[in-house]
Formats: sequence, C-alpha cells, structure tokens
Amino acid sequence: MNLISGKLMNEKESRAELERLKSLILEAREKAPLPVSSVINACDTLSRALDEREHLPLLLNLGMPEYKARKDLQMIKHMMSKEYLENRLNIELGTPSREFSPYGDTLSVRQKWMPLGVLLHIAAGNVDALPFFSVIEGLLTGNINILKLPGNDDGLSIRLLQELIKIEPLIAQYVFVFDYPSQDIESMEKMMSAADAIVVWGGDEAVSAVRGMANPNTRIIEWGHKISFAYISGDVSDSDLEGIAYNICDTNQVFCNSCQGLFIDTDSFNEVLMFSERFLRILERMADELPNKNNTYLTAQKTLELYTEKLESVKHRKRVFSSNNCSVIAYDDTALAPSYMFRNCWVRPLPRERLLAALSDYKNHLHTVALVCAEQDKKVIETILTKTGVVRVTSGARMSKGYCGMPHDGEFSLRRYMKLMSYEY
Amino acid sequence: MDLRRKLFLQKNPYDLQKTGDLFLEAVKNDVVFHAENCPEYAQILKSLGFSIDEIDSEDMLYKIPVIPTLYYKRNYLCSLSEKKLAVKATSSGTKGAQSKVGFDKKTLFYGICMMIRYFSYHKLLSLLPTNYIVLGYEPSTHTQMGAIKTAYGTTKFAPALHREYALKDTGTGYELNIEGIKKALLRYAKSGLPVRFVGFPSYMFFLLKTLKENHISLKLNSHSIVLLGGGWKQFSDEEIDRDFVFELIYDTLGIEKRNCHEFFSAVEHPLPYVKCKNGHFHVPIYSRVIIRDIKTLEPVPVGSLGLLSFVSPLVSSMPLTSVVTDDLAVLYDGYDCGCGINTPYFELKGRAGVSQIKTCTTDALDLAQGGS
Repeated sequence: MNLISGKLMNEKESRAELERLKSLILEAREKAPLPVSSVINACDTLSRALDEREHLPLLLNLGMPEYKARKDLQMIKHMMSKEYLENRLNIELGTPSREFSPYGDTLSVRQKWMPLGVLLHIAAGNVDALPFFSVIEGLLTGNINILKLPGNDDGLSIRLLQELIKIEPLIAQYVFVFDYPSQDIESMEKMMSAADAIVVWGGDEAVSAVRGMANPNTRIIEWGHKISFAYISGDVSDSDLEGIAYNICDTNQVFCNSCQGLFIDTDSFNEVLMFSERFLRILERMADELPNKNNTYLTAQKTLELYTEKLESVKHRKRVFSSNNCSVIAYDDTALAPSYMFRNCWVRPLPRERLLAALSDYKNHLHTVALVCAEQDKKVIETILTKTGVVRVTSGARMSKGYCGMPHDGEFSLRRYMKLMSYEY
Repeated sequence: MDLRRKLFLQKNPYDLQKTGDLFLEAVKNDVVFHAENCPEYAQILKSLGFSIDEIDSEDMLYKIPVIPTLYYKRNYLCSLSEKKLAVKATSSGTKGAQSKVGFDKKTLFYGICMMIRYFSYHKLLSLLPTNYIVLGYEPSTHTQMGAIKTAYGTTKFAPALHREYALKDTGTGYELNIEGIKKALLRYAKSGLPVRFVGFPSYMFFLLKTLKENHISLKLNSHSIVLLGGGWKQFSDEEIDRDFVFELIYDTLGIEKRNCHEFFSAVEHPLPYVKCKNGHFHVPIYSRVIIRDIKTLEPVPVGSLGLLSFVSPLVSSMPLTSVVTDDLAVLYDGYDCGCGINTPYFELKGRAGVSQIKTCTTDALDLAQGGS
C-alpha cells in the first residue's frame, strides 16, 4: 500500500499523486514548519499507546519468537518516548542554535541546525520497522519524507506511520510512502528529483545503483552493509564468551553489528581448533536457551553449506565443529568473511601484530568489534582496532544493543539530515 | 565393454526392470574410475570411510558419498586432463560462485545418444524445418554458461531455419532483444512453419505479457512447441502461475497446452527430465533419484520432502556420480501416475535458502571487492 497525505492509496491513486509530488511538497513547505515538539509529542503518545495485546501479534506475525517480540516492542516504546528523543536530540545536535562574534571579527553570527528539506528514504527490509525509524529521524530533523518501501516490506512501517499521523495530523503533509519496486526506474527518478538528499539503506549493489541514478545536485546519505566480529586475546572466561554466543543466537547474525566470527590473537591453528571446540559447547548451550524455528528451506541450505565445508576440509586447513543447532568452523586464514549466519560462526587466527594489515583492506565495511581480553591489553588493542576502520568496540553481549545518543556507523545520523545554517549581519 | 554404452543406447528410457543390474554395475565402475583418477575424490571417499563393496544393491546407492552442487561451485574436480575435454560449461548462478564442468568426447557421445532416445520417446524430435525463439542467451565466445548450451542443444531436435535470442550477444555482454523477438515472431508466423520456444519460464512470461500488451495474437503452425526449463520465479521473485502462462501461450501464440513441455536439468547433473502429460518428472533408466533428509542427508521415505539428489554413471570427466542439488523435492511411486510411464517421479518444491534473506551484514562479494 501507499500512504500519501495521511491517506492509504492503491497503486493507481498513488501514481497520480507521484505526478504532482513536487507541488504537494511545495504546498507543505510554504506553510509554517512542523515543530519538532509536535513530532516528539506524537511519538511519545504512540509509544504509550503501543501495548502487548494489540501490537505483539504484529511482531509475532513477522515470524519472531515471542521473547524477541516482547523485547523489541519494549525497545520501540523506549526509543519513541519523549525523554529518549529529547536526550537524543541534545546529544546529537548539541545546542540547536548559538549566537556569537567570530574570532577577529565584529560580526554578529547566528548558527542553527536546519532541515535539509526533502529526504527520500530508500529503505531496506533487513530490520523490521526500519523504514519507519528512518522516517522518524527525518521528521525529528524537520524534513519532508518520501519513503520508498523495500521490496519485501511487511506492512509494519505503514501501520505505525498511520497511527502517528492519527495522533498528530500535521505530520500527514510530511510523509509520502510509495510501495513501488526498485526496477520502476521512472518512478524512482521522479522521487529522486523531488528530494534534496537520498537516504539509502542496503548493500553495495543498492548504493551503487543510487549513486548511478541520482543527480549530482542531490546529496546521497549512505547507510551501507557492514560486518562485525569478535577479537579474543589471552585467557578469557566462559562468561565473556557467553556474551558473544548470546549475540550470535539473539540476532541470528543477520545485522551489521552481529558477530560473524571470532579472531584469536594467535598464530597457531591448533589453538584455533581447541578454542573452536570450547566455543561450540558455549554456543550450543545458548542456542538451546534461545530456540529458533528455522524453516525447511533455510535448514536445508545450512546443511548443504556445512556439509560442503566438511568435504572441503579433506584438502583445506579447516575443520567443522557442529551440533544439532549451531556450528563453529575453524579456518587457518585471516580472511574477514561473512558467516553462514543463523548460529554458524567461524574462528580464525589473527595475531595483534597483523591486525591492522589484515583488516585495513575492508575499509568502510567494518562495524562493531566485541573485544575480549585482559584489562591491561585493552588500550593497546583498542588503538589498533580504531585504526583499522571499525566504528565501535564493545563486549559480546552488547554488540547489537544500542544506547541513547549512540552514533550510527560512526556518525550522528540526525546531523547528516540537517545543514548548519549561518546567519550573519 | 563400457557398460554405459549399453545403458545409454537402450531404446526405452523408462524400462527400469530390464536395466537395473546394468545401471548398478555402471555406477560402481564409474565410482571406481573416479576414485582412481581424481585424487581429491578418492580422499573424500576415504575420509567418509566409504568402500565400493557396500554397494551391493540399488537400495545401497545412497551410500555413495554425495557431493553438493555448492562443492562444485567452489572446487573443480576432474578425472580426466583438461585437454581431453570436448566442452566446458558453467552454471548460471547470477551472483557469486558458478560451477565449472567439462565433458569428454565419450560422455558427450553417450549424452547425445541418450538425448535422442529420450526426446524421441517424448515425441520432441522432428524433421520439419523449424524456426526458434530462444528465451535465453545467445551462444558467444565470452561465456560458457550451461543454460546457454542446454538451450542451444535443444534447438537441434528439429532442423533450425533461424534462431532469435531473447538476450543478444553484444560482443562483451548481453542486451534484451524484445523488439527483435517480436519482429522474428511476426515473420515466423507469416512463413507458416513450426516455431519452437526454448528457455527460461520467466522470459517466456515476460514475452507473452509484452505480446498481449501490444495486442499481438498469432496462430502458429500446429506443430509448434514450447520447451521451458528453469525456475518459475518472476523478476520480482513472485511465483508465476503455470496455468495462466499456458492460457497466455494459447491466447497469443495459438499453441495448445499439450505442446508445452517443461524440462529439468542441472550443470552438475546434465541429464534431461521432461514432464509427462500429467506434469511429472519420471526417473529414466539413466539415473536414480534419492530424496535426502534436510539435516542428516540420509534418504527419506517415498512421499516425504527433502533435498533432491541424483545418481548417474553418465560422466567420466568429473565425479558427478552422486550429487545433491539445492532443490527440495518429493519422490512418488510412479504406478499411479496414469501417463503410461510407471517409474517413480519427483516434484520440485522450491530451492534451499531464503529468497530474500533479511540481513545488513556485508556479503562476501562486496567484501571480496573491498579486499582485493
């Protein structure tokens, strides 16, 4: 479905609206701007209205296990609350406006964060409700938002946006949702030409496609796919490793901050083998605690992948350690590779002296590292990791958890959706 | 004598009783040949503790170590030197790895004999000069995709006057040739000779929709045939409704449903399977189908869902004797089909994996590019 000016529309109706998108946008922009406080209040009211009875089934319908649906619903409530949003704005934007006389000048200068204008969000379907949150960020920064839904959209985002508009009808003119396929180039170009900036979520392919299509006068804000892993040095306790196992099972390794595998600070493949065997037991326990219902097709794929790895280990230096519901593959190389996901991780040797050289080729794809090491080694390894291009170092259990004011891929996203206006007289 | 000669030259491609022992011996010879000539294969057999003596009946064929198509995509196994290969082909994977296979002259010869027997049984051989629409890629010097060779191969089952390709070779790549196809079709219709459509269902569907949108409705020669093979997914990933396609074929081309055929094949298992009139892929004498458990890869009972795997002694250049595809399927007893063929048949039930995996982790290809 499409959602334009607060109304749900079928494809035919929405196409007519797309034709006059620029004039609809102009109409909204000529009015008084949408106050941030109205957006925050609407989000807060929505956050209070979200309850388990009505909204939990929406998440369960997406195939989420119940414990996860409850947790996610609580998280959405928390992230939409007034206190959270105000804190976030405060951290990301600092003082919204300041007046001063610049050094060496007698001018009176006023600087203020202002919206870019119109954002086109090309959302990915990898995180449930991601398109909704992308639009919320656009609204919080005062922008008008055109949203192109992902191909496999589950309808959750439109539903939440509708509820938000019901609470604050002023938002209606700031949201245009189109449910067209990316292959519909003509429509994509119309949306792009109406936008000041394009916010693109997705892999290199999606990002390159947008780079190729967008006009040079349109800013592109990329939230590309990233890869995360754990780095283990020295003697570590089972409980430290449990955090990593928790992340692997809780996220099924599908997020950019999910742990794909573990690098061990060693040169020895033997040590990697011993560690893998140990980690499999920890992972297995966690997988039992957080059961996951994989469908037939996914299970079959994982079986074939692991079996292929087993056959390959006859001639390559690697070994598969597997149990009923998870696996650990030990490799004797230092490649940073995605795992097979769904509780199948890798372990590889990578001594700290070679860390920088091995990882710097993956620039702009690196995300979170779970660092597990002795306290006295932390600073040294943190420094090396920072140089490689990773944007976040944390514990295993925290890898896919956020906090209020956390940078997104190394940046404050709200700032990227705004411009710093300078008024000087 | 090479037992394969006897097997692949059999007249009736579905007489399992008569050829059972021959098949079993040919398979055993094939395994032994590969083990002797492909060290990696021998190592795999050894690591899994396999002994050829275990294979004393057809029921034990599942014990021959099965190799996934994914393995061939990432590793090249061969039992004959490169210079003995007469053709090479790659699978049509769109992203990432592709299987590389090569066939020697003997394999090719048996393969062609088999195809002639098989297609003549299914009445798909014709001596009438025929015009072709190939719903796939034009053969070229810059690609060796197996699907191209299959499609091109099937244009030899009736003498070809002209072939028009949906994807035309530009010298360095391919471009969609809808206009060319439309023009060729109108010309073919005018000539009154039979027309054959060969290739991917999704391309056929796209062509039919384009014809319909342009209000083109033809009545092609009654000996015209449609041969479709490959996935029934649209570009948007939705399953195409078969009956709707057959209706469209009749409406726009005048070809009746009984002249529309579906076939199945794989680069790693280059044997033809054509659906019978009741829509079933029956197992011919050249292979056996084993459906394997999605977790253990052990055989599952008739009627249960699992991974589709094949055993066949056709290929001597590569150990393709026992392969498991990433297709899910169910095997049924053939007696109740009613088409006249009573060998077991399989039904395809989709591909292993998730069509659109929800992930934002970087994929291997992107990393490889970043890392190179």
